[in-house]
Amino acid sequence: MKKSKLNLMTVFIAAALMVFISCGTKEAEKVEVATTATEAKTYKLALSLAITGPTSDAGNPYAKGVEDYFKFVNEMNILGEDKIECTIRDDQYKNDVTKRNFEEFIAEGLDFYLNYSTGSTLALKKDFEEEKMPTIPASFHAGNLIESNYIFLPIASYSAQAIGLAEYVVNNHSGSTPKVAMFIHPSAFGRGPVSDVEKAIAAGLDMELIEVVEHGKDLDNTAMLQRLLNKGVQYVISQTVQSPVATMLKDASRLDLVAKTFGENGKITFLGCHYTGGNDLIALAGPAAENFFWTTSYIITSEPGVGTDAQLALAKRYGRDDKAAQSHNYANGVMVAQVATECILRAKARGKAVNKESLYQELLEMNGINAFYPVTTVGPVTYSATDKAGVDTLQLYAVKNGAFKSVGTPFIPIYTGKI
Amino acid sequence: MATNRWLATGNYHISYQDEQKIFSTHLDRSIFIVFLSALFIWPLFFEVSNKFMLVIDNIMIAVVAIIGLNIVTGFAGLISIGHAAFVGVGAYTLASFSRVLGDSNMLLTHAWPLMIVLSGLMGAVFGAIVGLPAMRLKHLYLAIATLSFQMIFQWTINFMDFFDQGQTISIGRVHWLTGEVARKDHYVFWYYIILVFIVLCGFMVRNLLRTRYGRCLSAVRDNDRAADAMGMHPGFTKVYAFGLAGFFAGIAGALHAYLYRGVGIESFTLHESITYLAMAIVGGLGTLHGSFWGPAAIKVLDLQVEILAEKAAHFLPASMNLATALRPFTFGLVIVLFLMFEPRGIANWWRIVKSYTKLWPFRY
Repeated sequence: MKKSKLNLMTVFIAAALMVFISCGTKEAEKVEVATTATEAKTYKLALSLAITGPTSDAGNPYAKGVEDYFKFVNEMNILGEDKIECTIRDDQYKNDVTKRNFEEFIAEGLDFYLNYSTGSTLALKKDFEEEKMPTIPASFHAGNLIESNYIFLPIASYSAQAIGLAEYVVNNHSGSTPKVAMFIHPSAFGRGPVSDVEKAIAAGLDMELIEVVEHGKDLDNTAMLQRLLNKGVQYVISQTVQSPVATMLKDASRLDLVAKTFGENGKITFLGCHYTGGNDLIALAGPAAENFFWTTSYIITSEPGVGTDAQLALAKRYGRDDKAAQSHNYANGVMVAQVATECILRAKARGKAVNKESLYQELLEMNGINAFYPVTTVGPVTYSATDKAGVDTLQLYAVKNGAFKSVGTPFIPIYTGKI
Repeated sequence: MATNRWLATGNYHISYQDEQKIFSTHLDRSIFIVFLSALFIWPLFFEVSNKFMLVIDNIMIAVVAIIGLNIVTGFAGLISIGHAAFVGVGAYTLASFSRVLGDSNMLLTHAWPLMIVLSGLMGAVFGAIVGLPAMRLKHLYLAIATLSFQMIFQWTINFMDFFDQGQTISIGRVHWLTGEVARKDHYVFWYYIILVFIVLCGFMVRNLLRTRYGRCLSAVRDNDRAADAMGMHPGFTKVYAFGLAGFFAGIAGALHAYLYRGVGIESFTLHESITYLAMAIVGGLGTLHGSFWGPAAIKVLDLQVEILAEKAAHFLPASMNLATALRPFTFGLVIVLFLMFEPRGIANWWRIVKSYTKLWPFRY
């Protein structure tokens, strides 16, 4: 017995040593690479996001978008001899892991940082300030920008998206004041836009907010939907991720509550912000997704154009599966990588040393005649000291015959400027 | 009989006091002093990146928390599934001060040792309150009571505006004799502070176990009716076990808040409570040094599986989410394997090594 336990311990100690030695070898390799690459410059970028764990269904294609675009930049010599080295780390949607990753990136001499979740962006806000690190998160939470100089949202905030949807409801509703409910994720990510929608109503948006529902992990929303219907709710604006929306839509479809046309009397019209929609929602909800209204700043692959062709070609070039290639989160990842690359290009063109200070300056000057036009969005990317949201323009889409199709032309919500 | 105070090849205790000694030989004491000195000295000679220092600090904070959990679950035999909530109480004590006074108030940034102790005391108060049902409840029923506290804690933080609904509440940088602790020194500074707390907590518990209050814990764990018959108060013992566990947990929470310079609910969820319990089991329930082995083993394992899962995620189909399942699977497997093959935890390996070296070169 004693002998077997000693053997077990020996195995354990040997395994620990192997891990230790392998870590040491890795460090040595890194040093070797760094010393051999002396001529061409390498710019250090990094991304920490949920490749596994919660929201990894969005994080996975996002990571692929970033990875593919930087590979493309390096292979096509878009920066001449210079290269981008973007380290991508999984943080499992955990703030403490993101912090650990960020410390690792800083130690390696980070020039530009791409973050992911709302929670970690808020948690690391002070670190970004202290390090003066230009940061673009995948979170569009307006609260990220409060008391922050270095965080830049890729597109309009969740608040702007929810207000945009509310404005569409008000402008297209026939009859008395529309009654609206919000279906939100139980976190800062979900709750963020609620107070801003309430402010918009207080500022004159003619809409009644009947209820705010924080969803759990419910597999059945029958009671909630019946309650909303009894309260006279005609529209539900969702700010969460795709799976709870898909569950809600399937239940609403089963109960025959989904409006066939926008604002159909006695039924509910469902709408949602960026992370609620996309092709993944259709895959999850099936026919129940029909007539779901969704807003984002990205051009999606069911509305083919130059941008989507480029997106699909990029995904094909790097052997991505169809699911990733068609994802708006892949486009999202490509777009932030495009912005980072553009900043480097501009800093180089001005003869500046490419570092976090010059890249931050390039972001601040990305407006007016210097606005950046990526082909994957419905509007230009504009940043300044007072405007930290990239693409201010939104596009409304609705599911028609199993695919998201554009509804109207791109718009900028009016009430975001009034609250 | 003359005894060798430096080496002992067996247990030759001739008095009760002799058996209660912290160090049985001079060699034990010397090894401990050398080891402790090495822990204090090594950061001066080896430059470790902030990332690894953060990992080490994190393990050490877990050690403080597990020392507390070991008192209640290991020594007193009371299952607690809400330990992360007690840690959270400590962290949110600081967060409350930050919300009311501002994150850079002098009380938080200058009087931080006081704040850490205050957080510990707050944890003790909550621990004692949650421990009250222990006077009437046992086993699974008590576990459910502690689980209830965990759920109430999470709900309260998640829905109260005062606590920013669980979003990160920031804590300012602390000051030391040389002024504000700079970002580059942050993790090393907290390494020393946590180490001091570990040493203090370790000696506190080691000495507690030598007192009648410490022996009460074991007596109540083994048979509370017999303990009652011998004049001990099982109810009071259980409540103070929870109180003490809450105290250490509160200190761990405050250290966590200062280390991460912020407090968010995700570090104090039910999942974290289960992780703490796993650390205690893997380390060895009812042993002081098990509180050191458990956090180290689980955190290092977690780190390795994390690297593996990340690599796996690049080639496993995303739709199947297999990489996500790798961590909980490994975690569960380790717990099951330890419960099956080594229920006394890594501490038992240490015991075997010690007894082997004690007799070396003789086998018997």
